[in-house]
Amino acid sequence: MEQKKPVLSDATGEHVYHCAKCGLCLNACPVYRETLVESHSPRGKVQLAKHIIEGDLDITKHMSDILFSSCLLCGSCVAACPSGVRQDALFSGLRWRAAERYGLGFTKKLFFQVLSRGWLMSTSAWFGKWVRKIFGGPWIENRMKVGNLPVAGVPPMNAKPFNDEFPEIVRPDGAVNARVLYFHGCATNYVFGDVGRAVVSVLTRMGVEVEIPKNQSCCGLPIFLSGDRKTSLTCIREVVHAFSRKDVDAVIVDCATCGSALRNEYVHILKELRDLGEGVDDDLVAAAEHLAGITKNVSEFIDAHRDWLPPFPPYTGEKIRVTYHDPCHLVKGQNVGAQPRRLLKLLPTVEFVEMAEADRCCGGGGEYQIEYGDMSARITNRKVENVRKTDAEFVATGCPGCNITIGAHVAKDHVKAIHTVQLIRNALDGKGPGE
Amino acid sequence: MIREETIQKFREIVGPDACLSSVEDLINYSYDSSVDEAMPDVVLLPQGTEQVSAIMKVANEEGIPVTPRGAGTNLSGGTVPMKGGIVLVLTRMNRLIKLSKEDRYAIVEAGHINLDLQNRVKAEGLFYPPDPASWSVSTLGGNVGENAGGPRGVKYGVTRDWLLGLKVVLADGRIIQAGGITAKNVTGIDLISLFTGSEGCLGIVTEVTVKLLPLPPFQQSIQAFFPQLDGASRTVARIIGSGIVPVALELMDKVVVNMIEDSAHIGLPRDVEGTLLIMVDGEEATCRKQVEVMEKICRDEGSSDIQVAQSAEEEDKLWLGRRSAFGVMSRKRPTCVLEDVTVPVSNLPAMIKGTVEIGKKYNLTIGVMAHAGDGNTHPMIVTDKRDREEWKRVEKAVSEIFHLAVDLGGTLSGEHGIGLSKKPFIPLIMNDDARRLMVEIKSVLDPKGILNPGKFIE
Ligand SMILES: Cc1cc2nc3c(=O)[nH]c(=O)nc-3n(C[C@H](O)[C@H](O)[C@H](O)COP(=O)(O)OP(=O)(O)OC[C@H]3O[C@@H](n4cnc5c(N)ncnc54)[C@H](O)[C@@H]3O)c2cc1C
Repeated sequence: MEQKKPVLSDATGEHVYHCAKCGLCLNACPVYRETLVESHSPRGKVQLAKHIIEGDLDITKHMSDILFSSCLLCGSCVAACPSGVRQDALFSGLRWRAAERYGLGFTKKLFFQVLSRGWLMSTSAWFGKWVRKIFGGPWIENRMKVGNLPVAGVPPMNAKPFNDEFPEIVRPDGAVNARVLYFHGCATNYVFGDVGRAVVSVLTRMGVEVEIPKNQSCCGLPIFLSGDRKTSLTCIREVVHAFSRKDVDAVIVDCATCGSALRNEYVHILKELRDLGEGVDDDLVAAAEHLAGITKNVSEFIDAHRDWLPPFPPYTGEKIRVTYHDPCHLVKGQNVGAQPRRLLKLLPTVEFVEMAEADRCCGGGGEYQIEYGDMSARITNRKVENVRKTDAEFVATGCPGCNITIGAHVAKDHVKAIHTVQLIRNALDGKGPGE
Repeated sequence: MIREETIQKFREIVGPDACLSSVEDLINYSYDSSVDEAMPDVVLLPQGTEQVSAIMKVANEEGIPVTPRGAGTNLSGGTVPMKGGIVLVLTRMNRLIKLSKEDRYAIVEAGHINLDLQNRVKAEGLFYPPDPASWSVSTLGGNVGENAGGPRGVKYGVTRDWLLGLKVVLADGRIIQAGGITAKNVTGIDLISLFTGSEGCLGIVTEVTVKLLPLPPFQQSIQAFFPQLDGASRTVARIIGSGIVPVALELMDKVVVNMIEDSAHIGLPRDVEGTLLIMVDGEEATCRKQVEVMEKICRDEGSSDIQVAQSAEEEDKLWLGRRSAFGVMSRKRPTCVLEDVTVPVSNLPAMIKGTVEIGKKYNLTIGVMAHAGDGNTHPMIVTDKRDREEWKRVEKAVSEIFHLAVDLGGTLSGEHGIGLSKKPFIPLIMNDDARRLMVEIKSVLDPKGILNPGKFIE
């Protein structure tokens, strides 16, 4: 039975034939740059995908390892590919088939089932218990390192979920310039509550009415990318139903990954599942298309409506050096890179410095850094070195994953990672970046 | 097939994680950027000349074919292991061994990436001119193997022109040094030239010594658009004839420009027939004067619009589009057959016109791009190899393109090498004795014929 199923939909599979094997993705891939082995390169894996699709190569256990261990699904190859090949779609599709065959690791499975049922995580006490269970042991207390992640530098969980802090609709004082839905994602809800507060604060001061739907689901992308498509589909359905609305001006997202899910991945994934007969209908695809059209990254939205910002109060303190790290899912996935820089340069509190290779992956890749610590560390070290060279006190970024990875590694240098929108909020408050 | 005991020997030489034989790894070293493929039996990633030498000793004793490989970006099948055996991958030999500012040279291992070298020497105020469009991935060893050029070739020549020395492991494992670190050197036969462009058929290059220039103080690029392709190619011949030596002088036709625009969105006009991309460097005042002269020539030949890049970022953007040109051709159709026939610059207009006609005759989409200042054209045929009937027409068109180039006093390949794809056409350009001489040279260096067998020297 299993044999009859095509590995990937025809539309996705056709991508392998458009790879010119030119190799321009090799240099873009953070993993290839470290190992210099073709099977770790995007070109290599596309060629393997071709053999799998044509049926002369089986998804062996070794192949499955290659798919999971040598790819952060950062999308750098997609951005670098002149031929327009969607390596991400090919690789995540193959991960799905690999996961069907070999299963997900126990920790991963639990992690994703929990993410997909956001309501289970309604108390932080439960969350803590769950985290301990997942990573097996008292590492939080002992401040150990899991994989490549030095736990000492990881921020603590929110005292209560962000979503519980606000009423469902937050209105600005005075005239309303726009109405938006705020998709806050798991990271803001459970870890970076202050990012959410900053988003609401800045937007309302711009005259934007912010609606924060209750019971928001995980965007589903981390789950999807790891091959567990069934679980991720639950998430996607919920998000599309709750956020694909015609009566709002935009859906605002503060997380790079969630944003690229809502505006790039959903439509693609749903079409693929529809074509493979996995119970997705045209209405769902159409709703996802509408959602993709109205989703905006928070920095992008603020930048586009800079004229709505109130004047910054005068700041007399010393300017603080801030550099910016481009999250892969933001700059490559959504072409958002100039906007946060423009905003940072606007702030009276900030002296902006560019770091070398700002758009190179930080090596985190969500749970990649936990499972494949050595490789992740090699990539992260390069990023940390580039941060150090700027002498910045803050690394601004737009992704909770990068924030955790970079923040944890630069903590010992007294450098902090922070979301761009937090810096904007602080400046509007007349405060320095770190106050 | 290679015996397990032999594989064990290799494993001991390079270490277990550098001796690969899973089916996935073998597939991954069965191809390069050309269309051909063949499976090796084992893949080795040595580190250091000594390991390469040890491998070659074993391979030579047992008569196992060895195909050296850098990044595998060559466009002629040069790293496809036609007779199986070993693919010897040099990517992990990527150290910068020495950079001398006083004597202006650098020594790198063969797997060093071209762009990494460019960036390293630039930081010291120095300049390494050869810039194949694949520079972000291709290796110095591969650049030597193909005697690669690049857009900057008009003024600065090709890889060979920048080589001072090579360390080479011979087929039987002996190690030689050709050349040295001095700017002049006529001691003995020019062995550097012998190995350069030999496509891995005569020895394994493990270290490369290149000469460097001071970084030019200024550079400027202009882009000129032409309603007629002919006007663009005549402009090229006239600029070269005027005595100006541009750094780079690239031509792209409408097909190519549109594909680049689909991919890069850099605002290229989609309706013009010919686009020239020109760069000059040197003292600012001189450059500006040269730009003026070239602008005038462009206008005389009917250019509809001329743009001068105003910033370093604008320059980068222009050239990035050009470098992606091969890849973008695969957007619409899966297969892109890229040739690099080269003619004297004065015959460039005739070559380009003829290529367009051949495309029409066989009803094929041919994009024309050229390192025009060198007379080096890159006709790119976009097709789908799965379509048998069309593929036959492609083969015919390619053959006609070669014949045309030869008739125009040109040659089969300016920089991509012969490899597999152009092998049948060598007799068009070299007589029997010249070809026999190549075979004789190879038999001295590689009596058992283990180095990259099945390629152009046969
Ligand atoms: C997008 C794109 C753009 C390109 N642009 C240009 C261009 O502008 N100009 C140009 O000239 N070429 C160009 N090329 C072709 C190719 O990139 C060059 O030929 C390059 O020099 C190959 O380097 P490599 O490291 O990939 O070598 P490989 O492809 O791995 O090898 C090339 C040849 O050299 C041999 N070889 C490799 N390493 C060694 C070694 N250490 N010792 C002995 N033999 C060795 C191989 O056996 C093979 O025959 C382009 C290719 C692509 C895909």
